[in-house]
Amino acid sequence: MPAPTQMFFPMIRNCELSRIYGTACYCHHKHLCCSPPYIPQSRLRYTPHPAYATFSRPKENWWQYTQGRRYVSTPQKFYLTPPQVNSILKANEYSFKVPEFDGKNVSSVLGFDSNQLPANAPIEDRRSAATCLQTRGMLLGVFDGHAGCACSQAVSERLFYYIAVSLLPHETLLEIENAVESGRALLPILQWHKHPNDYFSKEASKLYFNSLRTYWQELIDLNTGESADIDVKEALINAFKRLDNDISLEAQVGDPNSFLNYLVLRVAFSGATACVAHVDGVDLHVANTGDSRAMLGVQEEDGSWSAVTLSNDHNAQNESEVERLKLEHPKNEAKSVVKQDRLLGLLMPFRAFGDVKFKWSIDLQKRVIESGPDQLNDNEYTKFIPPNYYTPPYLTAEPEVTYHRLRPQDKFLVLATDGLWETMHRQDVVRIVGEYLTGMHHQQPIAVGGYKVTLGQMHSLLTERRAKMSSVFEDQNAATHLIRHAVGNNEFGSVDHERLSKMLSLPEELARMYRDDITIIVVQFNSHVVGAYQNQE
Amino acid sequence: MPVFCQLCWSAVMDADGRIYIRNWQGGILSGGFEKTPKPIFTEGKNQLEIQNLQEDWDHFEPLLSSLLRRMPELETLEIVKLVNCPETFTPDMRCIMGESPLVQGYFVLAGMNSAGLSFGGGAGKYLAEWMVHGYPSESVWELDLKRFGALQSSRTFLRHRVMEVMPLLYDLKVPRWDFQTGRQLRTSPLYDRLDAQGARWMEKHGFERPKYFVPPDKDLLALEQSKTFYKPDWFDIVESEVKCCKEAVCVIDMSSFTKFEITSTGDQALEILQYLFSNDLDVPVGHIVHTGMLNEGGGYENDCSIARLNKRSFFMISPTDQQVHCWAWLKKHMPRDSDLLLEDVTWKYTALNLIGPRAVDVLSELSYAPMTPDHFPSLFCKEMSVGYANGIRVMSMTHTGEPGFMLYIPIEYALHVYNEVMSVGQKYGIRNAGYYALRSLRIEKFFAFWGQDLNTLTTPLECGRESRVKLDKGMDFIGRDALLQQRQNGVYKRLTMFILDDHDTDLDLWPWWGEPIYRNGQYAGKTTSSAYSYTLERHVCLGFVHNFSEDTGEEQVVTADFINRGEYEIDIAGHRFQAKAKLYPVTSLFTHKRRKEDVELSDLQGK
Repeated sequence: MPAPTQMFFPMIRNCELSRIYGTACYCHHKHLCCSPPYIPQSRLRYTPHPAYATFSRPKENWWQYTQGRRYVSTPQKFYLTPPQVNSILKANEYSFKVPEFDGKNVSSVLGFDSNQLPANAPIEDRRSAATCLQTRGMLLGVFDGHAGCACSQAVSERLFYYIAVSLLPHETLLEIENAVESGRALLPILQWHKHPNDYFSKEASKLYFNSLRTYWQELIDLNTGESADIDVKEALINAFKRLDNDISLEAQVGDPNSFLNYLVLRVAFSGATACVAHVDGVDLHVANTGDSRAMLGVQEEDGSWSAVTLSNDHNAQNESEVERLKLEHPKNEAKSVVKQDRLLGLLMPFRAFGDVKFKWSIDLQKRVIESGPDQLNDNEYTKFIPPNYYTPPYLTAEPEVTYHRLRPQDKFLVLATDGLWETMHRQDVVRIVGEYLTGMHHQQPIAVGGYKVTLGQMHSLLTERRAKMSSVFEDQNAATHLIRHAVGNNEFGSVDHERLSKMLSLPEELARMYRDDITIIVVQFNSHVVGAYQNQE
Repeated sequence: MPVFCQLCWSAVMDADGRIYIRNWQGGILSGGFEKTPKPIFTEGKNQLEIQNLQEDWDHFEPLLSSLLRRMPELETLEIVKLVNCPETFTPDMRCIMGESPLVQGYFVLAGMNSAGLSFGGGAGKYLAEWMVHGYPSESVWELDLKRFGALQSSRTFLRHRVMEVMPLLYDLKVPRWDFQTGRQLRTSPLYDRLDAQGARWMEKHGFERPKYFVPPDKDLLALEQSKTFYKPDWFDIVESEVKCCKEAVCVIDMSSFTKFEITSTGDQALEILQYLFSNDLDVPVGHIVHTGMLNEGGGYENDCSIARLNKRSFFMISPTDQQVHCWAWLKKHMPRDSDLLLEDVTWKYTALNLIGPRAVDVLSELSYAPMTPDHFPSLFCKEMSVGYANGIRVMSMTHTGEPGFMLYIPIEYALHVYNEVMSVGQKYGIRNAGYYALRSLRIEKFFAFWGQDLNTLTTPLECGRESRVKLDKGMDFIGRDALLQQRQNGVYKRLTMFILDDHDTDLDLWPWWGEPIYRNGQYAGKTTSSAYSYTLERHVCLGFVHNFSEDTGEEQVVTADFINRGEYEIDIAGHRFQAKAKLYPVTSLFTHKRRKEDVELSDLQGK
């Protein structure tokens, strides 16, 4: 990962300095067997412009002065015990099992495990899961916020409603609208599956509801009378675009309530990527905006695991995305639109919700900021206009939708923010989850048959296997298990407790330097139900 | 390993490592009993089909580790084969043998708990005797198939229980150990109520029974730490319960007892019971009779209390684990085509035992009826109302020798009666008590219990219960001839109560059961049960004294004189303690005066 140090000339020395300190520290204190603190600056989603760096993200830039020194003077000896590690890892874990109906499980989804591990304080990732009540299917999504958590929070609350409404048939929309009109009870649209820490903002609910209602009123008006089959792909794209549009509009219009006014502005000026899966029977749609990823775990006939990617990252590593951006803007911008692998040299994901700084015209930005509350005016970051900003919009929330028809060998789906994919290869992710879900039984049994094996050899082989399995049994949640590996894996691919405990005991202001927020949802499919669907046809 | 093979013709057992090692065709055979067994059910398959399962090295790993720790040299040896075959286990780690209670003439010997090789010979012998003579020459109740019923044959129960039982093979087996799995199967309706008040539970025949009640401010040791052969952590708790039984009133939930009702249209019920039981059951209605259900040899098949409810109906109370055995015995001896009705009413009644001098006050307040001995003499049974509930069978006995009453309550009234008893009893200092208190009380009163002290080879004459046998009640009964003969010839063993003299309760190992008894330095038998008597402040053991001829080892007649003239010692784990032998319980007169040291056998009364 090439660190774009040239972006940081005022800080290069400090960066180097801390590396030297780190190495020195490594020699003096042997118990620090972790690699010296190499700082992958490029992990930060925004590289703040040098001129405003200290104002916009003081924490993230100050650390080099303060933490570099602190690291040397007080070597961390107070490692966490395994139970402490577990309580940190499990604090946000959530599991949902689709209830059996009449003794039979008719859903193609068995259930899901989800978890998140913060690196930012507060965490900027969000997750959502819900069952559609008026249509069939289940929605699951991970949202990676940047420049604060306002946008990811809003998207995690709102996006599924937009999707659900987009999927509703005309009659149901009418019924809902009539209910609202006459003040009757509404049909429930979504059943949420939330961890107690996953909150919804009460203050904005009225505002959000009104925007959503306008959306379905438009859908009703647009209806041509023919009850055409609703296309899930189209519904997903419409929902994404509509929500982003509403976020942008709400910020432009403002709100008389000053708290709400500030909130909608914060939502619009921060950003979030989204990776959402819609599962209905054997039909799996993945809508992705940004650099989170959906990965399908496929079990081959020989029991081994392979990963099938169901989404494309929208970032500089994706050539077609770079190509798209270049085509959408005049030729003379070809060099500036993607710079240092970032959009306009600033933003890592090439698609995102919010981020109006990359969407609105300069005029509009200035107007909104000037008329906005003082807090907004004081924030140098929001005032700052990206360089080479000639032909907005540069950013879109339009998702790329992938369709996959589930097969019995498709055992699970991993939705995760880039915090996971940065640290682990997709093949490892799928193998670890696969082995976890199938448990020890599917670990290839050892048979001596015919070979000359001594007891000693057998013994060391068995101890090794047991060590490998022991970490599995600590977790009741596949997502937790994956995070344990992501954070604690040593070079041999097995969880190293010391490393894990060191990583988790990093102080808040340091953690972001070593890892990003990690959010994972592991959806397990019911192969029997999927197989039955197949046989029906 | 030639040296090993030459020296070691027997097996090496490493209980800590959970393995055994033995010589096998010049090589080494090692196996063990792992902590995490994997239950398998044959699902109707032929046993032979699953005789050889696929090798599972991961499962064998802990055993292999301890083998290599014990014999590191083995590391270089080559593996020949890992044999993986299932073994059978039972819910209580003892095999099952005997005649099926349902199909006459169908004999079973199975579930050897991996000890088939060592038990095979003896088990085969006893089963053969059983098949030929109708009974084995030793008491094998502990192995009898009929100690189990349908309730222990649930697949889930077995799956969980055998997983607990198997590791126990190489675990330290401490006294009063309760299985942790397969619990809370049969419970009294008061279970939750008692549990909330701190009850700790033990299980018998699937039924949960309170051991004692932990006061809110008291902490007991964790399960593992509570394993001991010394003074257990519940000592003080049981002491206060016993004290309350002696001075005020306690209530013990004893619903687990097996309860049968026998009724008939005519006199058949009385006739058959007179034939099956040794005591005279032709008593006035309302009387309770303690009696044994004897076999041909005069030995106890069951020891029970029978209340005559009316002229043609009897209520029979037997130990909990008699449910299957007693039923089978009655069914076997009852004429097939009669108007006799035998009903198992165990589940219909909750039994509360009100023990203590103030029980009479509690009950009379609740029933508005005088309960004094003049109106309600000992060993009587009356149906009366307690609180709002009508039809409660109140019996003036407590199974302990203490004053008090047993209440047999139709289960729907159980909670009501319990609540009433507790609220009225408050001013008399009522509290809950458990079976450990009951045991202490009954043993210090020399009450023998079937299944612990009494078995199929013990006759009433051998345990001082001549009074419960009416040899001349005017008709024949099973075992009468044997008893007549025994009365003529004398007994060859005698149940005796021992009071340990120089035993330090706090520091010495406790007697539990099975400790050798020495008479004048000579082995004379073993104890069958024991308890600490809080009244005598001594340990009390019950056990059988034999009279082995010094020259030939032959068993000789045991007389009261023989018992009284001996000097006794009880051997607890190699340490002998002085013991005083008694043939009859110490009267409360003396204990109240705390003159126990001075009590001599000659001072004792008969009952």
